[in-house]
Amino acid sequence: MRKLSLLLVLLLAIGGAAFAQDAPTIAVMTPFLAQPGTQLMVEGFEAAAADKGWQVNVIDTSEDIAALVSRMEDVALQGVDAIVINVDPTQIEPGLHAAADAGIPVFGLDSGAHPLLATNVTSNGYTMAAETATYVVDRLNGAGNVVMFIFEPYPPVQKRGAIAQAIFDNTPDISIMDAITPSFDNGPLEGARNAMEAVLLAHPEAGSISAVWAAWDDPALGALQAIEDAGRADEGIVVVGIDATDQARDAIARGSNFEATVAQDFGGMAARVADLVEAHLGGMMSAQVNHYVPARLVTQADLMG
Amino acid sequence: MSQRPHLSSFLRRYGTLIGFLAIVLFFWTQRPQTFMTLPNWVNITRQMSILGVVAFTMTIVMVTGDFDLSVGAMASLVGIVAGSAFQNGGGVGQAVALALLVGVAGGALNGLLVAGVGISAFVATLGTLTVFRGLALYTSSGASIYGRVIPAEFSSFGRGAIVIGELSIPNLTLLAALALALVFVILRFTIFGRRLYAIGGNREAARFGGIRIARLRMLSFVISGLGAAAAGLMLFSRLSTAHPTQGEGLMLQAIAAVFLGMTMNEEAQPNVLGSLVGVLILGVLANGLTQMQIDTYIQQILTGVIIILAVTLSSLSQQGLRAPEWLRRLLPERGEAA
Amino acid sequence: MHLQIRQASKAYAGIPALIDAALDLHGGEALGLVGENGAGKSTLIKLLAGLEAPDSLEVRLNGARVTIPDSAAARRLGLRFIHQELAIVPALNVAENLFLNNPLPRIGGAFVNRAALYKLAREAMRRLGIDHIDLRQRASLLSPGDAMLVKIASAFIGADDQQQLIYIMDEPTAALNQAEAELLYAVIDRLRARGCALLVVTHRLHELFRIAQRVTVMRDGMVVNTHKITETSAGELIHEMTGSSAAHLPPAADKVKSEATDDRPLLRARYLQTDALSAASFHLRAGEIVGVAGLAGAGRSQLLQALMGIDKLRAGTIELDGEALRNPAPAVCWEQGIAYLPEERRSQGLLLGGRISHNMTLPHLGRFRRWLAMIDRRAEDRRSQQLSRSVQLRATGIQQRLRELSGGNQQKVMFARAVLAKPRLVLLDEPTRGVDVGAKRDIYRLIRELAAGGAGILLVSSELDELLALCGRILIMRNRRLVGEASTAELDERALLSLMFAGLPHLPTPSSKHQGRGAQSNKINSDARFLTA
Repeated sequence: MRKLSLLLVLLLAIGGAAFAQDAPTIAVMTPFLAQPGTQLMVEGFEAAAADKGWQVNVIDTSEDIAALVSRMEDVALQGVDAIVINVDPTQIEPGLHAAADAGIPVFGLDSGAHPLLATNVTSNGYTMAAETATYVVDRLNGAGNVVMFIFEPYPPVQKRGAIAQAIFDNTPDISIMDAITPSFDNGPLEGARNAMEAVLLAHPEAGSISAVWAAWDDPALGALQAIEDAGRADEGIVVVGIDATDQARDAIARGSNFEATVAQDFGGMAARVADLVEAHLGGMMSAQVNHYVPARLVTQADLMG
Repeated sequence: MSQRPHLSSFLRRYGTLIGFLAIVLFFWTQRPQTFMTLPNWVNITRQMSILGVVAFTMTIVMVTGDFDLSVGAMASLVGIVAGSAFQNGGGVGQAVALALLVGVAGGALNGLLVAGVGISAFVATLGTLTVFRGLALYTSSGASIYGRVIPAEFSSFGRGAIVIGELSIPNLTLLAALALALVFVILRFTIFGRRLYAIGGNREAARFGGIRIARLRMLSFVISGLGAAAAGLMLFSRLSTAHPTQGEGLMLQAIAAVFLGMTMNEEAQPNVLGSLVGVLILGVLANGLTQMQIDTYIQQILTGVIIILAVTLSSLSQQGLRAPEWLRRLLPERGEAA
Repeated sequence: MHLQIRQASKAYAGIPALIDAALDLHGGEALGLVGENGAGKSTLIKLLAGLEAPDSLEVRLNGARVTIPDSAAARRLGLRFIHQELAIVPALNVAENLFLNNPLPRIGGAFVNRAALYKLAREAMRRLGIDHIDLRQRASLLSPGDAMLVKIASAFIGADDQQQLIYIMDEPTAALNQAEAELLYAVIDRLRARGCALLVVTHRLHELFRIAQRVTVMRDGMVVNTHKITETSAGELIHEMTGSSAAHLPPAADKVKSEATDDRPLLRARYLQTDALSAASFHLRAGEIVGVAGLAGAGRSQLLQALMGIDKLRAGTIELDGEALRNPAPAVCWEQGIAYLPEERRSQGLLLGGRISHNMTLPHLGRFRRWLAMIDRRAEDRRSQQLSRSVQLRATGIQQRLRELSGGNQQKVMFARAVLAKPRLVLLDEPTRGVDVGAKRDIYRLIRELAAGGAGILLVSSELDELLALCGRILIMRNRRLVGEASTAELDERALLSLMFAGLPHLPTPSSKHQGRGAQSNKINSDARFLTA
């Protein structure tokens, strides 16, 4: 047992190598670090923080919300200078309270608005969903059957679905065949792929599926794989996603059915939040609930150029 | 010469506890201002209260040699059930009663499959895990239940505390302490508990010795279901949010805690005080490592390594020797280390 | 060939189990090793097998110094072991079990050569003279006796007839009946004739005089003496083992012998039928000790298990004191005052990791209830202490764990459990198996006291002298049937044995002479009256 503790001390010493105590410490907390978008934001924030000379502590709880609350309480007690979250704030209210009690400002990074947040920086989900949904409507000349991949539990993604649905509903000759919430058990990509395989099997005749609209890129990629594996890549099924991950960009660049996605400016959002944190530490409070950073549609033409 | 066996048995029994104290001491020295403070320990007990309730009741099932893999999914389901009750205009009492009833029913289903039908606990509860998760997702359509539908007195309970002078003890901590005391008395002092240990010690001998095995195993699963339901309600109350998968992290951690606790018993039996130390080890590690700003992924690796080390050391000292030569050289000699 | 063992010492947790023991094994000779339980015999064997690290040990093979760090080394030296504990994997078949401790024949280095496996297995079984066990049968279906034969046979896998090996056997006949033991004796004789050396640990003294040339006595971890078998007697050996001149058998002429105190039957069983038992009918009076005799696999244990409600009753009725016992189950039977000592006390009876007191009170916890669900621990401790004294348990205290006790003392704990609640009926399955001489004597005394106290006792035993000495009547079982009963007044061991064998299709040669005794066979037929009633 003595050797055990010795080993422990050693490991910890390596892990917790000395860091500057006087520089501001910012905790970045999310249960979703495995998601590409979150990764981009966290990396962007770390880069911005490095420029500002901050110490950044990234905490990911692998989709465990309760654990994230516990870790928020821990960092609140530890006394960091600010907390940046990427998670639905309504689900972590005890953590927000713990931070508020300790007088630590919490900033949302694409999280959603909440009274206990200093402010939230995000893309305008409504406009992003409108971009891809209208792209689909235009490509189909206003007529066809669309499969949607949505995710209700997470508000920023939920609102994308709502807008796209409104646009499709508002186009008389477009019908929504199915609105699927992909299973997360083996990642949304696999979940969407399995679901899409089932849809393809249920609608074997060519042309019966006109488009796949996905609320973010992973299910779009899963659907694309299912379409290609089923040998139905040449039916002209239009696949669109949102977020413009590297994988999505590759799929679009090679001229597959995956035609368009929307690039959120994750780096821009991260930099913006970093600026807001800096301003806040300097005594400048933001009165705005949400700060929107513009996003843009990405198609093959954009990637060739 | 005659001291040696005592020393080695001391190490065998208390090695994990010593390791725990070493971890505490380490964090204390590394974070002197924040770690060893009353607010932080209150914080840790509140954070671990939910896992504690699951681990304590899981101990009962594991005493008989079974497992209950469905507790995490049950905790999630119970949150959704209570949340749906609120959405349909139910009061706190109704929602809690309904939720606990669901826990008992789920536990009874597990018990029926394991003790009645005779399916292995691993397979049966893996099956019900999936069923419970599916029910939770289906009932909630995959969405969280939060906001104004949840009565204020329900969500304030999870954040509330009983204040005695300077000390404020979180309600959740008190609940966990109550569960600990109950399980302790059941396992240590009741006929039921003694019979559970007999079943775990030698199932056939217990049966030949006149113990109604099926009935008792069934009952132990019901208790575990009830514990999972209580934990699910605690989680719901703490977060004021019921998400259909929010309890899933509990199962593996609870089993890990019971295993850690088993290392503190000469006969390697599950025991609830050991489970408590197991829970505290997991809690203190997460808390301390966060305060030390260790990368969260490294935290997971460290936690896993510590569990494996503790169980390995304990099983080696239990079997006595016969570990491979290279490993024996690495480890302290029995009885000579202290 | 000459194997010298010197300075063998081993202590467990500071308590010496073996002190400076020395032995010599010679080719062409069987050395018997006797001693009470805890005398150090099994420890010595574990050191030789490389299963335990010795504190000190010097081994010379034909004069050359050798070491035994692990079991593979022991095998290379030509040592072959038959250990006491049954090491049978129930899910494997017989042939596969034979190869558990032997290298499997292979094809291409990775695949098992099944044809060769069965061929070698068949040869090993033939070497033992066993032909009634199907090599493809799952081991879980074997009777304990057959399982032991399989284990013994595994020591003969791949042994070609020229090789001179050293065979070390720990209680090889403990689970065997007389006929099966005879098979083994014949094998031992053959091995010896071929020049092999043998070390045989046994509690059955008479078998030493049948197979051994010399005998070594151990006591308290030390070698006491070694005799030529022709120059010693059972009495002398017992004297050296126990340090006293205790007779290891109850006096056969003891007239206390189970005279029923009451004429009304305590137990009446009619046409009991389970999956492992056919139509057994008999009765038992209070205060009576009734024996159950039969070969291994004859269904003796199954008879007790039917009474105890362990095997599901397909048909038949059980009446206890005139009251029908409906849907018997172990829990119900204990509550009704039936006590049971199963055959395999380690796997079926005891919680080896549990404390003595907890083992004693296990079926009786309801009697120590207070405050609804709590255990009255003070009353439990008091009762356990009382019982420890009355069964003359040798232990450090009632808190000691069962695995630290010798086999005999473990069995005494089982007895304490059986008598705790003043049972009406006691079912004993091989109560003296693997028990040392001193404990045996105590157990006989306990059985008699129980009967004298008015309990009815059904005693299954493979030790015929024990049955004859303790019982008034003996039920005879063959092929899962109760075929009759005999009064011990008219029986001796040979006659009883012939009753057990009669009608068995493949009768082993050593006992075949009994078969022709018409008078005995007739007696069985005349006694088989229950079956037609």
